[in-house]
Amino acid sequence: METSRDDIGIVIRSAFLQKGTQQRFSLLALSIFSIFLIFLETIEAKPLNKVRSVVNDLVYRGAVIVSYPSKVFSDSYNFFENHIKLYKNYDEIKKENTDLKNNISNSDFLELENSQLRKLINEQVESDSNLVSARVLLDDKSPYLNSFIINIGTNKKIKKGMAVLDGKNFIGRIVDVNFFSSRVLLITDLNSKIPVISEPSGSHAIMSGHGRSNPTLDYLSLNHNIKDGDKIYTSGKEGIFSPGIAIGEVKIIQNYLEVLLFSELNQITFVSIKLKENRIIK
Amino acid sequence: MVSTPQKIWIKSIETFPLLILFFISLNGNSTINISFISINIHYIIVYYWVLRKPESLGYGFIFLSGVISDVVLGFPIGVTSLSLLFIAGAATYIRVVTVRATLLNDWMSFIPALLIANFTNFISLHYSSYPLEYIYLLKSSVFTFIFYPILWMLFSIIYNLIKKS
Repeated sequence: METSRDDIGIVIRSAFLQKGTQQRFSLLALSIFSIFLIFLETIEAKPLNKVRSVVNDLVYRGAVIVSYPSKVFSDSYNFFENHIKLYKNYDEIKKENTDLKNNISNSDFLELENSQLRKLINEQVESDSNLVSARVLLDDKSPYLNSFIINIGTNKKIKKGMAVLDGKNFIGRIVDVNFFSSRVLLITDLNSKIPVISEPSGSHAIMSGHGRSNPTLDYLSLNHNIKDGDKIYTSGKEGIFSPGIAIGEVKIIQNYLEVLLFSELNQITFVSIKLKENRIIK
Repeated sequence: MVSTPQKIWIKSIETFPLLILFFISLNGNSTINISFISINIHYIIVYYWVLRKPESLGYGFIFLSGVISDVVLGFPIGVTSLSLLFIAGAATYIRVVTVRATLLNDWMSFIPALLIANFTNFISLHYSSYPLEYIYLLKSSVFTFIFYPILWMLFSIIYNLIKKS
């Protein structure tokens, strides 16, 4: 028995400590270095952040080049799929267009009324020119993280926490900024918790992501009256995002209030980032 | 006398494990997710090639591919590297203690390697205050184990080609 225990010890030592043929580093040294790197990730310091930014930017650029063939393939597949769907969607779009035309006159009236009321209470809203556009560089699916990389960073004054929009719809926020790239955490991610308000019921809630395609509404009051089809907007309660950015509409599935997003998150190529919030100045 | 196209062929087939390792890291395809199925091909590649032909995958390259994978997928840097190095360690240990390489031997010994790697992954992510899905970890372990023979057969063809060349 003694001999077999010794043998195991020798084998483990040879596996982890010896470099072996054509190996420059030992496994143990690299494992310790990996643990050191994990520990470094928990430290927030300016020089470390700069190194992280450079490493991230370099890897992202490399990843864009390597994933180019698969991206071309998936784009072509989507193109053909959309082309086939085009004829099917035509009738639906025609009907939707007629409905929208009818609604435009209604919304014009509401906009006019809104501006008159704002004048009445001496409020002023800044223009929407604080948006900056960005292209999605990488949207690799991580097992735990629903996010993608965009092609602008501190070079365009992007900061952590800024709201990211697809057209006029809220889709996520900036969580990591490098020199020439940033990571956008999507509203479907496990970490995403956004204060929202429903319309017309006016109930406040927290929209939580679960890593699936639809987030859910949590922390609602007991006597809320949210119904299927209610629209969900950012409430602006946390003071980071502007209020009233459209997100999606409610669908009640087995007592769970799911939010069907207005934007298709896996089809996004360009996004807008709100550089500065539209503060209401009294 | 070996001709130039033959030399290129030999070189490319010899560097195949390394190329595929970096390709999946940079492409963010280290884990294949198809509806409920989730297979970690990064683990399988490292395990197979360290077990059968360790000189084709250096530990330094394994570490580097883990770092790239972490950056691309948004994990804390070092988490995937550590898991991959543990897989490589388990494969090295098994290579030393086994005499004959068969699919069944490799497959069964892949279980402890997979458990150690996923446990390391879990501990490092937990330490980094990362949200974890336990079901995902479980199904990833199960499907990676089930899928191993398919990649084993595919890699065996390439391994035989390398041996012949």
